[in-house]
Amino acid sequence: MKRNRFTAMLAVMILIVMMLSACGGGGSPEKNAAGTGAGDGGGDKTTVSIWVLNDQAAYLEPIIKDFESKNPDIKVEPTFYGTDPLKESLKVAAASKTLPDMWFTWGGSLGAFYPENGLTMDLTAVAAEHKWEDIYNPAAIDLVKYDGKIAGVPFHLASLAVIYPKELYAKLNLNPPATFAEFEAQLQLMKDQDITPFAVGGKGGWMLMRWVEQLIEHYGGVELHDQLNALEASWEDPAVVQSFQKLKEWSDKGYFEKGFITLDPQEAETPLYHGLQGFAIEGAWVDLTISQAGVDPSSIGIFKFPTDHQPVRMSSFAEMFQINGSSEPAVQEAAVKLAEYVTGQEIVNEYIDQYGSPALQQFNTSEQSPHTAEMADMIKDGNFLISDQALPQTVVQKLFEAQDAVILNEWTPEQAAQELQKAVEAHKSNN
Amino acid sequence: MKLKAWKPWTFLMPALLIYLVVIVGPSLYTLQLSLYRWNGISPNKQFVGLQNYIYLLTEDTVFQKALKNNVLWLAGSLTIIIGLGLMFALLLNRKLKGRSLFRGVFYFPYVLSGIIVALMWSWLYHPTRGFFNALLEGIGLGELAHPWLADPKTALYAVFIAAVWQGVGLPMVLFLAGLQSIPKDCYEAAIIDGAKPVQSFRFITIPLLSETFVIVFATTMVNAMKVYDIIYGMTAGGPAQSTQVLSSWMYYQTFKFNNIGVGSAISWFLVFVTMVVIIPYVYYTNKKSHL
Repeated sequence: MKRNRFTAMLAVMILIVMMLSACGGGGSPEKNAAGTGAGDGGGDKTTVSIWVLNDQAAYLEPIIKDFESKNPDIKVEPTFYGTDPLKESLKVAAASKTLPDMWFTWGGSLGAFYPENGLTMDLTAVAAEHKWEDIYNPAAIDLVKYDGKIAGVPFHLASLAVIYPKELYAKLNLNPPATFAEFEAQLQLMKDQDITPFAVGGKGGWMLMRWVEQLIEHYGGVELHDQLNALEASWEDPAVVQSFQKLKEWSDKGYFEKGFITLDPQEAETPLYHGLQGFAIEGAWVDLTISQAGVDPSSIGIFKFPTDHQPVRMSSFAEMFQINGSSEPAVQEAAVKLAEYVTGQEIVNEYIDQYGSPALQQFNTSEQSPHTAEMADMIKDGNFLISDQALPQTVVQKLFEAQDAVILNEWTPEQAAQELQKAVEAHKSNN
Repeated sequence: MKLKAWKPWTFLMPALLIYLVVIVGPSLYTLQLSLYRWNGISPNKQFVGLQNYIYLLTEDTVFQKALKNNVLWLAGSLTIIIGLGLMFALLLNRKLKGRSLFRGVFYFPYVLSGIIVALMWSWLYHPTRGFFNALLEGIGLGELAHPWLADPKTALYAVFIAAVWQGVGLPMVLFLAGLQSIPKDCYEAAIIDGAKPVQSFRFITIPLLSETFVIVFATTMVNAMKVYDIIYGMTAGGPAQSTQVLSSWMYYQTFKFNNIGVGSAISWFLVFVTMVVIIPYVYYTNKKSHL
């Protein structure tokens, strides 16, 4: 009896060990269809497996059906995932050599993982042959390049501007600021009127980062900002310290909502749509969110953050379709055809209300998303890659920590800059 | 060995094989990976011995916060969640009007997903529009209103309260099942012998619940060590990484930073922390059963 009890307890103990040590796997993907890549072109039809986001299903499903009806020799097997499950599944599939033939990914350090490890098709020759330079926005083509080679078919090109409620601006008799000093004066004016200027939710770090990177662009200038993102300049630079000092000053002056640092970004931004708060930095996708909140997106105005540098660059990022470098040539050819179809002008114009910000040079304006074309026009002056894609993910995480720690008085701005530089050096020594 | 002796093994073998392949194999592979520097894809897998463990203990400040948070979470779960679970079970084991309803009410949060609970409690804790601060202001204690989730000193405890609300239902149900299996004769005999309720609890209820305690202890501990979704939903590990736990940091290292070796080392730290608690417990319980 006693031995049995001991055996039972030992079994419980072993079970716990095994459950905890083997729990490294992520959440389960929401699959609509199975299928992994490196597929063959055999049989009557060429089958292309593609992994994309759930959010894109509403327009990608009919587009894929259209594509199949126009290309009866190609069968497309889409699988839809949530954002994090897609990232996890791609990593696991890459490790186990079961990547699909084509997948959606973000640019910068998120998408670079696959070409860096030789898993994607080099599309440089295809781009030249198909004259992509006449079709896609040059900024988008630039953002899908790794080591000078094109690693993906540009899908979206998102740029970020400062958004504000026009009604509030009219009430306060304001106009979009032309200089950083004017912008700061508007912040104080709003605060004096008992209006919280910034609509920022700090949970996750990325929404606050959008302001920090603009401060770095303002204090450091175009060249230094690019060097910092490329890890070619020291993050202990005075411009970085000044940026954190300004962030702290804004926080101490009450320009952010109380306790904003762990507020949900979406929730924190909603009062702005109703004219109750001043500013957020957003991409054109926000139009859909504004509409869902029951507000007309045209009641929101946009301007470029006044960095006091010329050109005034916009934070931006690209999204793309990457194609499996190990798939059969026939499958790769079919995948390129599909990607070009999905991102082509005819389809974009047909689905523009749901599509988001296309990576094309020309497309129709959407009534439901009035800021898409406006932002696409603004980016022509210049852009920089958004920090959470420009920097290695370990440095991104340290940046998020530094933002919070400075606001909470745990680190001085100088310490924050030092910690970031340490993270950069650790990344360099490990790679 | 005789055929009879082999018989149980033949029945066990299919399950054992699956267990070896699905659980034991990956666990040992994780242990092996923890000794390498590897990004999960590269053919260049560099053996670094215990360097990943040393890095975590000496250089990774977030890991150290996460380890401390897991220890606090574990301690809180083993005392508060189990304590409250037992208390509710004792209360709801008595004859009480609406007993079934109360059992359902207390168990209900356990069936909700961690993300839903996180959303609800985030609203309750909202610094300006949340219920708790409004309540404090309403009863004239406005000076105690606080951004509970935005202050590193209170954030983890605030999330833990939400986890207690969600998690107390499971031990309560297990204890209730255990209490209902205790024969009433024992209590009746104790009353005849003049035992007071506290003595009955100490000398009858607790010893006869010892098997239940093992299960409750094990499930609570596993849940505490694996905690992730409720923290991710309420604070995403912030502010300033102050609510990171080992599971979330393991996820970041493995899937965001592509440090498969470091992520695997964290998962074995999880095992180690659990062992530090469970070995003395198993030893103590086993010793007690020999008395």
